[in-house]
Amino acid sequence: MTIKMVSHADLAALVAELVAANTQVIAPVQAKENPAATDYKQIQKFEDATLGLLPRRSIKEFLFPQTEVFLRYKQHKGDVTLEEIPLAPPKQVIIGAKPCDVASTDILDKVMNWDYRDELWFAHREATTIVSLLCPGLDNNCFCTSVGAGPDSTSGSDAMLIPVDGGYLAQIVTEKGKALFGARAKDVTDSKLIAKVEELRQEARKKVEQNLPVVPAEMPQWLADNFANAYWDTLALRCHGCGACTFVCPTCHCFEIADERENVEGGVRRRNWDACQTGKFTVHTSGHNPRNTQKERFRQRVMHKFSIYPQRFGEVLCTGCGRCARVCPGGMSIQEAVCQLMEIAGAEPQGNGQ
Amino acid sequence: MSEMNELAAKLLSEGTVKVVIGYEEGPAGVRPAFITDPAKTDTLIFDSRCVQNLAVYLNPRRSHVAVLGKVAVIVKGCDSKAVAGLIREYQVKREDLVIIGVRCGGVVRRADMAAELTADTVSDKCQDCDVREPKFCDHLVLPLPPAPPMTTKRSDKIAELLKMTADERWAFWSEQLGRCIRCHACREVCPLCTCVQCIADKNRPQWIPTSATLQGDVMWQMTRVLHLAGRCVDCQECERACPLDIPLGLLTKYVAQMVEKRFDYKAGDDPNVAAPMGEYRTDDEEGFIL
Repeated sequence: MTIKMVSHADLAALVAELVAANTQVIAPVQAKENPAATDYKQIQKFEDATLGLLPRRSIKEFLFPQTEVFLRYKQHKGDVTLEEIPLAPPKQVIIGAKPCDVASTDILDKVMNWDYRDELWFAHREATTIVSLLCPGLDNNCFCTSVGAGPDSTSGSDAMLIPVDGGYLAQIVTEKGKALFGARAKDVTDSKLIAKVEELRQEARKKVEQNLPVVPAEMPQWLADNFANAYWDTLALRCHGCGACTFVCPTCHCFEIADERENVEGGVRRRNWDACQTGKFTVHTSGHNPRNTQKERFRQRVMHKFSIYPQRFGEVLCTGCGRCARVCPGGMSIQEAVCQLMEIAGAEPQGNGQ
Repeated sequence: MSEMNELAAKLLSEGTVKVVIGYEEGPAGVRPAFITDPAKTDTLIFDSRCVQNLAVYLNPRRSHVAVLGKVAVIVKGCDSKAVAGLIREYQVKREDLVIIGVRCGGVVRRADMAAELTADTVSDKCQDCDVREPKFCDHLVLPLPPAPPMTTKRSDKIAELLKMTADERWAFWSEQLGRCIRCHACREVCPLCTCVQCIADKNRPQWIPTSATLQGDVMWQMTRVLHLAGRCVDCQECERACPLDIPLGLLTKYVAQMVEKRFDYKAGDDPNVAAPMGEYRTDDEEGFIL
């Protein structure tokens, strides 16, 4: 593990240099209309960033934009001509991202390179360098440690910042991360700082681990076997069937393709986020809907994250950020659902959870 | 046990209803509760954190709730107007419902806030409340708490927006609606959004772009708000549900004010009073058409 030291001034100089070189720099920024909230946004200088809170939306939109044009068409009488949009996403550096957001990138790489390689996703991935920030653990909605991530996880990060007196320790994870900091990353002279890092990590993990036990390895199969369990009948009564949970989720990645006319001559084909929690998501052209009520839709959300994805790709499709519960207007909590399902399954609690 | 819990237990044990929809303590604040067992009504609570409008669960689109059977619903005065709206629009039959009204001392903006009401935490909808003691109900329970602290945040903001030039207002709304992620939580929590096929979901022809671009976002909100003109009961659930804190209540409130001014109508708690869209009067104002 390479740990270096960077000062605030170093980071500010780095951001200035990147901006001058036309690299898009993204960081959490305080929301104008709600001082208690932040959003990942493009910044011009490091002082614009407000690090530490969980931004309202995940970093997903910078790798998988909510709406992305990938084809343009022109129509003249019966003739249609297509114009491909070149894959040239802007170079970008995301600074101060939450480890739970960043962990989603490695998880999503798997489905994005499964039955075919998703060129749009990987073009964004390659143009992006991610510097995460060690999270102290926020509140009782957090459960990253239960699903293989953690407030100190470097999964998906090119480097991780750890706040200490006088600046940050930078844990360099990849070559990209090393290249980003270059000579700005100085050797750590005070050995006590390294011990302090370990302390911070343990504190953060302990805080989150209280919220939910580790989801055991047998859950994916148990869920698959319990598709018809009576538990599902009453689980989603309060669910409104909006897409808020899926849209703020760092790992939800369903999309639809929409053709939109721009003028008489033609239009564009876009990829837009879609949400399995809405009724129209699974409606067939015949009118039949295999997931006709919210019971089936919410079960699908739990199944996809905790059964289907881990069985296919070996990882839970959730990083425990807890945004879904935070935004839910109906008071649904996937953490609570998983906890109750683990109880029904009679799963032995693992880890330090309750 | 309060009289609310006792009443719920009685309605369930006598078989008058199959489910009581009320409020309970959740992992992150108060949330809707669906009680079917008369022995489990002690979890029902009511206090200033019970901000949600439970009338939404009577909406016929909630087929997964409807299968439970006859419903008793706990409503604040403001929520009772939404129940009246659903009956007025023939979405729900009065005889299929037991309405339990609760006297209310105002609610906080979000269900995970502390119960203590301050000028900062009280919901905008509590300003000028005229139904702290619901009239449109079968049972009226709990003592009347003191009136909530005064808030003028929303009316001040509306006044400020009206003073702006059109360009300034456009800049304000472009920034606000520019955050929209088109999750449609505003629609789903709205008790009066009853369309089985929402125009925003239609794609042949597609009236509203589905993409989260400013054009689509603005068209969506304009359509939603206009469709609620004379129907919106100002429960402000759309604003509460918005994960991006877009002040949607400013739009719905202003449209309600316009309807009141032009048609002398406020969406109230009497289902027998026809809404402007639902009746024709020879003296209806038409200046805005001609």
